[in-house]
Amino acid sequence: MQVFLQTIVGGVSLGAVYALVALGFSLVYRTMGLVNFAHGNVVTVGAYLASTFYLSTKLPFALAMIIAIVVTGAIGLVIERVLRPLENKDFDLMLIGTIGFGIVLDALIIMIWGATGRAVPSPVPTAPIDIFGLRIRTYDLVVLAIAALATVLLVLFLSRTKRGTAMQAVAMDHEAATAVGIHVGRSNATAFMIGAGLAALAGGLVGPLLYVSPALGGALGIKGFAAAILGGFGSIPGAILGGLAIGILDSFTAGHFQGYSELVTFLVFTVIIMVRPTGIFGERTVNRA
Amino acid sequence: MKRLLVVAALGVAAWFLPYGLDSYAIHVVNVILIFAILAIGLGLVMGIAGQVNLSQVAFFGVGAYATAILTTHSGMGFWVAGVLAILATVLMGLVIGTPALRVQSHYLGIVTLGLALAFTNWVTNASLSGGAEGISGITAPTLPGVDLSSEYIYYYLELIVFAVVLGFGLFVVRTALGRRMRAMRDDALAAGALGAEVPMLRMTAFMLASVYGGVAGVLYAGLIRYVAPESFNIANMFLLLAMVIIGGRQSLIGCVVGAVSLALVRELLVDHPTIAQLAYGSVVVLVVVFAPTGLAGLPRRFRAYLDHRRGTRGTAAQLRPFQPYEPEAVSRSTQDQLLRVEGVTKQFRGLKALDDVSLTVSTGEIRGIVGPNGSGKTTLFNVISGLYKPTSGRVIFRGADMTGRAPYRLARAGMARTFQNLRLFGDLTVEENLLVALDRWSTLSAWRYALRPLSVLRRDRALRRSAAEVLERYGLTEFASLAPKSLPYGIQRRVEIARAVAADPALLLLDEPAAGLNGEEVRQLAEIVRSIRDSGRTVIIIEHNMGLVMSLCEQITVLAGGRVIASGTPAEVAVEPAVIEAYLGDSMNTDDLPVPSAGEATR
Repeated sequence: MQVFLQTIVGGVSLGAVYALVALGFSLVYRTMGLVNFAHGNVVTVGAYLASTFYLSTKLPFALAMIIAIVVTGAIGLVIERVLRPLENKDFDLMLIGTIGFGIVLDALIIMIWGATGRAVPSPVPTAPIDIFGLRIRTYDLVVLAIAALATVLLVLFLSRTKRGTAMQAVAMDHEAATAVGIHVGRSNATAFMIGAGLAALAGGLVGPLLYVSPALGGALGIKGFAAAILGGFGSIPGAILGGLAIGILDSFTAGHFQGYSELVTFLVFTVIIMVRPTGIFGERTVNRA
Repeated sequence: MKRLLVVAALGVAAWFLPYGLDSYAIHVVNVILIFAILAIGLGLVMGIAGQVNLSQVAFFGVGAYATAILTTHSGMGFWVAGVLAILATVLMGLVIGTPALRVQSHYLGIVTLGLALAFTNWVTNASLSGGAEGISGITAPTLPGVDLSSEYIYYYLELIVFAVVLGFGLFVVRTALGRRMRAMRDDALAAGALGAEVPMLRMTAFMLASVYGGVAGVLYAGLIRYVAPESFNIANMFLLLAMVIIGGRQSLIGCVVGAVSLALVRELLVDHPTIAQLAYGSVVVLVVVFAPTGLAGLPRRFRAYLDHRRGTRGTAAQLRPFQPYEPEAVSRSTQDQLLRVEGVTKQFRGLKALDDVSLTVSTGEIRGIVGPNGSGKTTLFNVISGLYKPTSGRVIFRGADMTGRAPYRLARAGMARTFQNLRLFGDLTVEENLLVALDRWSTLSAWRYALRPLSVLRRDRALRRSAAEVLERYGLTEFASLAPKSLPYGIQRRVEIARAVAADPALLLLDEPAAGLNGEEVRQLAEIVRSIRDSGRTVIIIEHNMGLVMSLCEQITVLAGGRVIASGTPAEVAVEPAVIEAYLGDSMNTDDLPVPSAGEATR
């Protein structure tokens, strides 16, 4: 039991990171029906930016993170602007376009930061807390708190601001949204920007948990995507729940299957997608008639 | 003739190529050929069949690893191991293809990517595959009297295999199977409604891709004689994808050109791999935005641009009059029930789109289905044609219970339909649209491609002859080679009807065929529908144009709010109080009111 709970606790903080990645995917998907395959690479960029500012310029961790979010937000804007001619026309081409951006970002990362990774020390150096015999790292709590805060802010933005409501409208029917005077392109750009910002947040937070390397985003991206699908693509509570679920699944497979954990995670994910393509909270069918 | 000369010239050039190359260059060329084979496979599954497959590199890996394992561990000869390796790859292809039966597009992309990652994860960890070090010392392929360990000789082996698989790929694309796949890519729903077995086609596409991947893998194992996980990683998958996209995914030749040019660029920049990566990534982005058809599409775009500049426009194609079918002499017995819908209810979450709808259509009838917008007419069509599963109730077609059968099964049982908002295959010509419908072959008989290619060709010629007849009958001959999207709306409507009838249905479902047509076109439509019926087919027509319905249909069923509120002859229905109320209650548009006098043809 102790081991079981410890495994869950171990998975939760990474799960929160997956949830943030999933939120970014979901936000872009619900607004424009597109899966951004460059999302994982944006996570890597965010991780490198945050760690660079934190380590080399000795900025406070929070400030480094904010800079990373702003820069990646700009990257998101660029991606959206370039691919805008394809929006609502050819989704497969857009998908390939985002893969193209992923390739470019990957090359840029290696050019700027090199192919080798770096370890980032935890910004909160306190010893693990002991609760009922469970050891919880303080940094895990920081990750959870920030992820929760980001989610709350996102939900507030979507439901309480005019821009957010407009994005919801575009998500439901982009033609009707155009008809009532919403600038669909701008709304999509906002979605992409926030999505990229969330990716940077996830990347920045995961730095001290994992080793920051060019391969970081690939694994995070695909797991975040799995989380988004598991929860129901486009659903915000689904992304959170899916993220935590994948995090815990990860933690279990790492314990039981060691090197094969990735294999098992992807196989489980494939089976889930086949059994229930719409996920837990998903409403839309995958093949829209 | 010109094309034949070009092919011959290329063949001769390829044959003498090794004489001008040093030993390193020939190695590079050998690797390029392998990538070209992989790219053809990816082009087939992605460009032709429209299935996003990001695990082509895993197919490649399975082929190479299986050869390596079978020759080193089991001590088999290269050729036996190679054949078994290709079989193993096909198995893998069928496994990776299964998700395509449930999900498409982005989902399929991520699942196949995940499975490709799972494969690399497995080979890096398993002791069978030698872990991260891989397997070395693969047995070299041998042929009596030929020294295949020389890369110069190996080049000829690869060249022959390449020519064969490219030829086979082109053969598939240009005949029935490839046409069906392209139709499915453009519109899976419409392809299914015309009888294309969509699930089977998707699996066939993945199987083809895996065969190409396997062949490339075996050749790679024989060439390098060493396999390691990093040759099959995601970076190489994306490189392969870039080759196909830049070359032009819808053209196999384009895929080869893309593979060769990208591989050459990568070779030139071999000391700066990240710059190469940056370059091809950017080119992929530019290509999808500015030239979605890739390099292969450039000549056509250039020609179109020149024509546009010169202002040379050939004589405009003209729609010829419809030539009526020979009336079928068979006497129609009204007792013969072709379609029976029994108590069908269709619930969409809170909304009851159809509520206990029952109707019977006899052979040889023209049945009208009318009703205000949102009364469930199209939902009823979707249930009948198998696109929707009814919540309860049964659909009996030709005496058999067909409730909830897949659309392609219904189509094969003799049902065809058109769609309210036109679903023509956009990237196929008008003629090809008809050919897809005329082709009644089961996808299972695709084995003929491998074993009896000549019978495939013969059959294709026969199909083209029938297509020419249909084009002639519908007055569309001059539009045969045009893309449907370039045609005026009225002609597109006619193409869609011609396509549905080409599928040789017993029951034809027309969903608002007169929408957007002008008076003269509506008159022609009435003539066409009558002639189709006279040729022995039964027609059900959803229409808002009351004049047309009143003059054309013998029986009318009126739907409102998902229920049948009236049915009978036009005259009976028009005076039914419930009908008048439903129409007036729905809108004040008196144009939609059923007109009692059945004489007027059009509004």
